[in-house]
Amino acid sequence: MPDTSVMIRDTAKKLLVEKRVDLIIGFERGTLPLRSTPCFVRRSVEAEKLIWNASCENNLARYLRKRKEKVGIVAKGCDTRSIISLIKEKQVAREQVFIIGVPCHGMIDRRKIEAKLDGREILEADEVSEKVILKGHDFTEIVAKEEFLHNSCNTCNYRNPVIYDVLIGDKVEENRGIDEYGEVKEFEAQSADRRWQSFTNEVSKCIRCYACRNACPLCYCQECFVDSSQPRWIGKTTNLSDTSIFHIVRAFHTAGRCVDCGACDRACPMGIDIRKLTKKIEKDVKELFHYQAGVNLEDVPPLATFNLGDPQEFIK
Amino acid sequence: MKEMKIAKNELVSFLDSLISEYKVFAPVKRDGFVVFQEIYSGSEALLVYANSKKPPKEILFPQSEVLFTYRLGGEGLGIEEPTFKDKQMVIFGIRPCDAKSLVILDDIFNSQVYKDVYYIAKREKTLVIAIGCNRPSSTCFCTSLGGGPFSPDGSDLLLVDIDHEYVVQAVTEKGKQFLKKHSEFKKVEEHSLSLMRSVIETAGVLIKSKVETGEIKKKLDVMFDDPFWDWLHEKCLDCAVCTYLCPTCHCFDITDEALDQRGERVRIWDSCAFPMFTLEASGVNPRPTSKERTRQRIMHKFKYFVDNHDMAACVGCGRCIKECPVNLDIRTVLNSILNR
Amino acid sequence: MGINKMQQPGQKVDGWKPRIIAFLCNWCSYAGADLAGVSRLQYPPNTRIIRVPCSSRISPLLILKSLQHGVDGVLVSGCRPGDCHYISGNYVARRKFAILNNLLEYLGIEKGRVHFAWVSAAEGKRFAELIKEITEEVRALGPAKELVKKQD
Repeated sequence: MPDTSVMIRDTAKKLLVEKRVDLIIGFERGTLPLRSTPCFVRRSVEAEKLIWNASCENNLARYLRKRKEKVGIVAKGCDTRSIISLIKEKQVAREQVFIIGVPCHGMIDRRKIEAKLDGREILEADEVSEKVILKGHDFTEIVAKEEFLHNSCNTCNYRNPVIYDVLIGDKVEENRGIDEYGEVKEFEAQSADRRWQSFTNEVSKCIRCYACRNACPLCYCQECFVDSSQPRWIGKTTNLSDTSIFHIVRAFHTAGRCVDCGACDRACPMGIDIRKLTKKIEKDVKELFHYQAGVNLEDVPPLATFNLGDPQEFIK
Repeated sequence: MKEMKIAKNELVSFLDSLISEYKVFAPVKRDGFVVFQEIYSGSEALLVYANSKKPPKEILFPQSEVLFTYRLGGEGLGIEEPTFKDKQMVIFGIRPCDAKSLVILDDIFNSQVYKDVYYIAKREKTLVIAIGCNRPSSTCFCTSLGGGPFSPDGSDLLLVDIDHEYVVQAVTEKGKQFLKKHSEFKKVEEHSLSLMRSVIETAGVLIKSKVETGEIKKKLDVMFDDPFWDWLHEKCLDCAVCTYLCPTCHCFDITDEALDQRGERVRIWDSCAFPMFTLEASGVNPRPTSKERTRQRIMHKFKYFVDNHDMAACVGCGRCIKECPVNLDIRTVLNSILNR
Repeated sequence: MGINKMQQPGQKVDGWKPRIIAFLCNWCSYAGADLAGVSRLQYPPNTRIIRVPCSSRISPLLILKSLQHGVDGVLVSGCRPGDCHYISGNYVARRKFAILNNLLEYLGIEKGRVHFAWVSAAEGKRFAELIKEITEEVRALGPAKELVKKQD
């Protein structure tokens, strides 16, 4: 079977030459080991730089909104789910995007690898099937990819694109027998004090750079509540109460929309465990309203509808 | 330049003795990454590390800083300003690139045209002890910006790790006085000095990442309307990771934290990457899209700042390269500018 | 006089009394509170009422901001299911509140700080009892602490 990168390039070239799209959004080689970077290809000759590997971690759906041209997009399972959410929310028209679906084995979390190397710098990393060969100043280590995947990849149930116009390669086997909400349940089992303490400990690292918000394909409010000055909802300093509210409300705004792509988590330079919140909300939406975001184009978003028999035990 | 030495095994007790006299900031490991914090025991300081996640600029220019507090009482409006009664400070273990960033910050907050009392009050009390980099990271490109792994700019003292001991270079008069005052610093032998020279030489060679920044300014002078900017920004998320983690970025906003009849006027970091940065009350935004904002960041660092201060507002620490969520590498940007 | 003039948020001082904000929908719960009033029913005076068009008007931000500024308890009350003046406002709000309620508890904010209720225009007596019940619950919890904003 030909290499995934080659297939993506060929598809992209064809689409551009046949003028079926004006732009391809994909990945090219990054400047650091274990790093690929989003790229925007408009001419077929440039399609040569497109690649695919286990460090294509960004959710490119983030770049789809407000485009006038027809766009071809390289999309993993989670990315296609985000695209579905965007289509449902009328931010992107289905016919405007050509989805180049790529089945995904999970993306590497380089911070996990860095933690394992404990300060030794990776100068070179090569992916060889299931392994990654890491080279540094005076070491070579071979690690298994699957041990260093992003948390959201470990619990992913949609490794294969949900919608696509063309599928690159064969579908991969979905994760089986994983407890998607294991971490959430573990957290739930702790005492209220402990939970509050670990939550505030996480958000106290926040530097209010808004990388989480800006990386999220679904955080697209015209004016974010943190930026609003009339009314000024929360303060702009790193005050713990303000940062807590920022994270609670941002997570809440993704209720019924978040597809757990992990983009917020990956973007955070301070390593805040943002998924602790979003995953809980995703779990509740599933349990309370039997809805999962981005799995089809038909289901009505849960907060835009209701059932007469919705749970209300908590209401006096 | 006068050299002394200090044995490695004496460093912790030396820091302990400093703590009684000074407020000592040093790199420490918190939540899995390195930050500069006040230490209360010499053993807290991390001596072997690449560089801190957040730049030490926040010691002198914190992310949020109260300028004054106000209160409306029976007697009318009362204003309380900070008293700046802090102890003398030592920033220990700062990297030469970050030490150099203090030279840049000094030029902004303590210049002919503007004297920032909040910055100066802290800066004047600060002694900077840098530790040179025996093993620079692959993202370090300090030598491209006039620095180096053992560049003394901005430090009062510079430590060179020669395995069993540190050779201490007194860079400033303040540093010399400090060396004299502390008996832990011993006379250094010629053998150690030659070791030091070879360490410095080796480290210089290890910096592989280079950008010819000399030409950048000339290029940028005529590039404001270049189509280059039309695509450069495309993958940028418009977040503030690069600016907030930059040791030289110094833009700020001023906000009121008011509660009822009392409040604080606070200076907070702001970033040119945010649309809000330039949004005017009328609703007009002179930098409406990512394109203008990305251009501003590059132009400010490598053109406007050079125009005004005769140096680039970048020290090549590599934080923005490491932490950018989409790998928008400033070295690539600079090289692309050179190729225009 | 602002609500903060009475006592500093987050502090339990002698004679501390819980402060509760009740967001009541204009058509049912507010009328219910009105009925409690004109019926001369007694209930604890710790609650400040804010009238809103509909319970679905309540954004989580209003609740969190109340807690941030030192309110010890929040009540959101709307029309009973089926009675919404805007047909379905309260049904939509119910979903939103279900998620918020779970999320706040998950993060460790004590149960009993934030309350949701349905009170119809005819339930003056129930309104008085509800306020009594909530006031006692909040009193038992003591002053709000988790989200209270302290100046650095």
